[in-house]
Amino acid sequence: MPQQPGQDMTQETLKQVGAAAAQQNAMERGARFLAHGTRLFTVPAGWESQMIRQDKGVPSCETMLELEAAMRDEDVRVIFIPLDALLTDVDIEKICERNGVTKTLFKEVRT
Amino acid sequence: MTKNTKDKKPAAPQADAKKPEAVSILQKSIKDLTLEDYAAIEKHIGTSSRPFPMWGPQRVENGNRSEIETVLSFIADDANPLKIYSERPYEEVIALAYCDMPVPSMLPIFKDGIERRGDPLLRQKDLLEGRQPQNENFNRTQMMIGDPGHGKSFLGALQGRLRSKGSVEIYDCGGKNMNDLLFEMVLDFGAADALPKAIDKRLKAGSLEDMSMGLVAQLNNLEKMPESVKGEKAIAEWKEQARIVTFGDDGKASIDWAKLRTGGEEKIQGAFDILTKVSKIEGLDNAGGNALGMNSQFGALIRAFIEKREIVLDEYNKSREGSDNALQTVIQFMIGELRECTVDNPLKNKDNTSGPSSFTFKRDDMGAGFFVTFTGNKTEDGSTTRSLNKSVYDRLKPDTLPDPDVIDWQHRICQMMVGLPVSTIYNTFKDQADENPEAFGEWLMWLRETKAKVEGTPMPELQQTLLANWKDVVSASEKLALFYDRWATLSDAEKITSAAPDLIEEVDEEYSKKEGMSFRRIKQHLEEAQPIRAKMQPVDTPTKAEFSPWTKPPKLAEQIEENPSLNYGTRLIEYIERMVYEKSGAVGKNKLYSKLVKAMEEYGLRDITLKEGERSRQKSVESSLNISAFADKDLNKQAQIARKIFCNYVRQMDPSIEAEDDQIITSKKFLDALKHVQSTETAMTNELFVANRDPEQLYAGQPLAEAIIKDAAAYVREKKKVDFDLDDLVHHDDFVAALALPTVGAKNLASIWDQNIRPMMRDGASPQADNAAASADGAQGPAANQNSSGAQRRNDGLSMAENTSAHGIATTSLQVLYSDEEGERAVSVHIVRNNLRDRTLVVGEKVPSKLLAAFREAGVIHVDRNDPAAQAKVETALSDLTRGMPAVVKDHLTDAFKYRNTVDSGYLREQHGSAVPKDKAAEKAFLTEARAEYMEGKALAELMVTPEVTMYFPKFVTKKANQGPR
Repeated sequence: MPQQPGQDMTQETLKQVGAAAAQQNAMERGARFLAHGTRLFTVPAGWESQMIRQDKGVPSCETMLELEAAMRDEDVRVIFIPLDALLTDVDIEKICERNGVTKTLFKEVRT
Repeated sequence: MTKNTKDKKPAAPQADAKKPEAVSILQKSIKDLTLEDYAAIEKHIGTSSRPFPMWGPQRVENGNRSEIETVLSFIADDANPLKIYSERPYEEVIALAYCDMPVPSMLPIFKDGIERRGDPLLRQKDLLEGRQPQNENFNRTQMMIGDPGHGKSFLGALQGRLRSKGSVEIYDCGGKNMNDLLFEMVLDFGAADALPKAIDKRLKAGSLEDMSMGLVAQLNNLEKMPESVKGEKAIAEWKEQARIVTFGDDGKASIDWAKLRTGGEEKIQGAFDILTKVSKIEGLDNAGGNALGMNSQFGALIRAFIEKREIVLDEYNKSREGSDNALQTVIQFMIGELRECTVDNPLKNKDNTSGPSSFTFKRDDMGAGFFVTFTGNKTEDGSTTRSLNKSVYDRLKPDTLPDPDVIDWQHRICQMMVGLPVSTIYNTFKDQADENPEAFGEWLMWLRETKAKVEGTPMPELQQTLLANWKDVVSASEKLALFYDRWATLSDAEKITSAAPDLIEEVDEEYSKKEGMSFRRIKQHLEEAQPIRAKMQPVDTPTKAEFSPWTKPPKLAEQIEENPSLNYGTRLIEYIERMVYEKSGAVGKNKLYSKLVKAMEEYGLRDITLKEGERSRQKSVESSLNISAFADKDLNKQAQIARKIFCNYVRQMDPSIEAEDDQIITSKKFLDALKHVQSTETAMTNELFVANRDPEQLYAGQPLAEAIIKDAAAYVREKKKVDFDLDDLVHHDDFVAALALPTVGAKNLASIWDQNIRPMMRDGASPQADNAAASADGAQGPAANQNSSGAQRRNDGLSMAENTSAHGIATTSLQVLYSDEEGERAVSVHIVRNNLRDRTLVVGEKVPSKLLAAFREAGVIHVDRNDPAAQAKVETALSDLTRGMPAVVKDHLTDAFKYRNTVDSGYLREQHGSAVPKDKAAEKAFLTEARAEYMEGKALAELMVTPEVTMYFPKFVTKKANQGPR
């Protein structure tokens, strides 16, 4: 079936709205305050984590190398850490401590 | 790192390839800056229209004497404002400077840091403008020493963040050789980090060979612990600092490659050997790109100098003793004593590599963005902290941070609660903020929202609500700060010797280090209070478990979404109470526990009780931070909320209505209705507003109908027959729905109280009421009310029925229409209200579920009297409403209830059957006695839910038409 004009835009808008809603929901559950103003929010695995993961501007970091690179990337402000990431809470704290920058982290957790 | 790129546009043609990025102005050498550069990066704060808070000693006039005092004031100097040289847009600099502002006691150091960063740039500007330079300060360092968690590295990084968008490197000096700052060994993995990535991939998949896993674990033993590290705590601390591999709960290892990659010769050689073996075992050595080599390179400090950026050398005095010899001349260069200095690479020729042989620091190469912040812990912090050489102190001239003051605790509490230090900002602009709180509140919101833009995420809802109620936040944070300050003193082994000598046996140095109050602990408390979690029920709550097999998941009650700010104060105070107990009472420190509990009371964390046992009108921390969406004073917002609740209610009451909110009632009409409610005086006339479901009136834009309370006792007194019937009564659901609407609920709750009992008791028209009070007096044992006479007690009960009690608590009952399968009838609605805490208990029939969430916002606890657990729920609610009040208050409340309620005569006749005398006079006497017997000793909760307890001389809520006697 041919695509309707504007269908892509609708999907894209939906994704953006979904990601924003998922972020807002996660923020309501409260943050852990990490070094230099970085906040870590937890997102239950499911539609909310899916929405944030799909957000084009949000890199998904699975290892310390990737998280460190994201922390040092000026263009990155929000970071997603998937459930199966090779990152302990201690690792995340450590990386935030040695990078004097404020980012917002969303960490996927089991429901 | 994987960026989601699938939706990206295809690459642009080569001809349009990315233009080379413009070099940041901060990455230019200071001598190369132009006046255009200054126009782009010079940002002013602390001007007359934009003052910036500042803390410091000042001469203050006290009567005829002037004394030096430390005060919170501000900088507002148009000629000499603070100049921040930043590549960020102006509004971002402002948002960061105000929202992330250091605590007041650190503000002078913050100011000094800004000036040190600016001085050489100002000098260059003077030269460009052909002026004699105002300063010759080339110092590019700042050092501060303070307690752990005080915010030293935060302050260093903040200065960097204010200037540049990039990350500021925080170099942890703990346990390290400081010569590594100049030259270090590095593992070379090639450009794409292929080997680390390949190992990470296998670690994640759990497919790394066992032998490799064993080798990976050895990466934690690469560095030998210095002999100077002694004692359990210091050893643990050192091991933590040296840790490269951590193991998650699932047993998977993660490798800190950035930490592994660089270091001293011995460490890097060890790491190289281990990784070579792992590479072979895993067969990665044959794969192309998995390069592994060793080299020497410039250390972190030289790299920061070359890249012209900031660096924070954190915990400098925890570095290895004697390891900073080569750094001394570099420090002399950085503080401006030397124009240049050269350092040689001691690793060159040891590693057979192509590393640099030396580096020359030159003042002419000094970048606009280069700056070094040294931080250090106080030497009493632990054995790994060492005293620095005299020459280092002389050169770096460290600032020692003072112990946090109450104003500092409050500042940090506010920052964590709402994302900006509203207390410090308020104290700076106090007069103006008090004069125009709305404008001040809007400006605070702008600051926080601008910072949210910098962070790239929306502002959390809880912070929005709290900031909209900034006065409550300031008040609560002040009380919390005073409490935490007391806690800090009582848990400090040094301070208690003078402040609380009786705690000497309980609080020793070890306890101070382990459990002493700090910013980190406060942070933990505030973090814990944010999420809404499962709550433990009061100990005497009856259980209602099903004793059938639990093979399937339980059926849950309809989920009522709770606004996170609604009970934020309660969650915080409950957590603090728990921590107070766990850190003192639970570990046998009973004196400390009782002092902390007393401090909680003194600073009004939960309830503010005056000496006479009355409750103060001042809000406790709990009340201040329990913020309902209804608390928004903006009537437009209240109308939006009210309309949503009303429309949901209308649709639930009549499922055939599918209309959207706007089709039911427009926002404008609802706003008009609320304005009318707000402007109408109803308290003295017992007039109410109730939900209006009449389609025609709704269509005409009237969501609320007027109602009036008609008191049967008044008809009796005036010997008139009632002039209304069942059809004239307001429906139960419309009455309670109005209690769930902002503005309307509050108005109604001011209009329902008794105004008749006292005059009727004087003119003798209400002998039952008098009897009820007397019988209540008789039912009360002397122990329950030793300090008050019968008359006093009656007076207290009356006050509670009239809502004039000094305790701020009241009760009354009303009758409304109810209809169900049993038909139409009048039913009672009992109301108990705590005015000071703005909480109300409503006991009535089942209500539409759509109202339940709104009840929570309105501070209404609704109990369906037909619920099997109704009595327990009422008991819990009554305990909450009377919390902190003398026990006798509940008795007086019961008396107040009995003025309008008693056991039904029909019920007594049925119970006593043939024992009831046939003679009218004898029957009356019998029933009076039976009634007194029934009521005696019954708890209020039971009386409120028992069906046989009904109203006599009811107060009917009727649709407003013609007024009868009231």
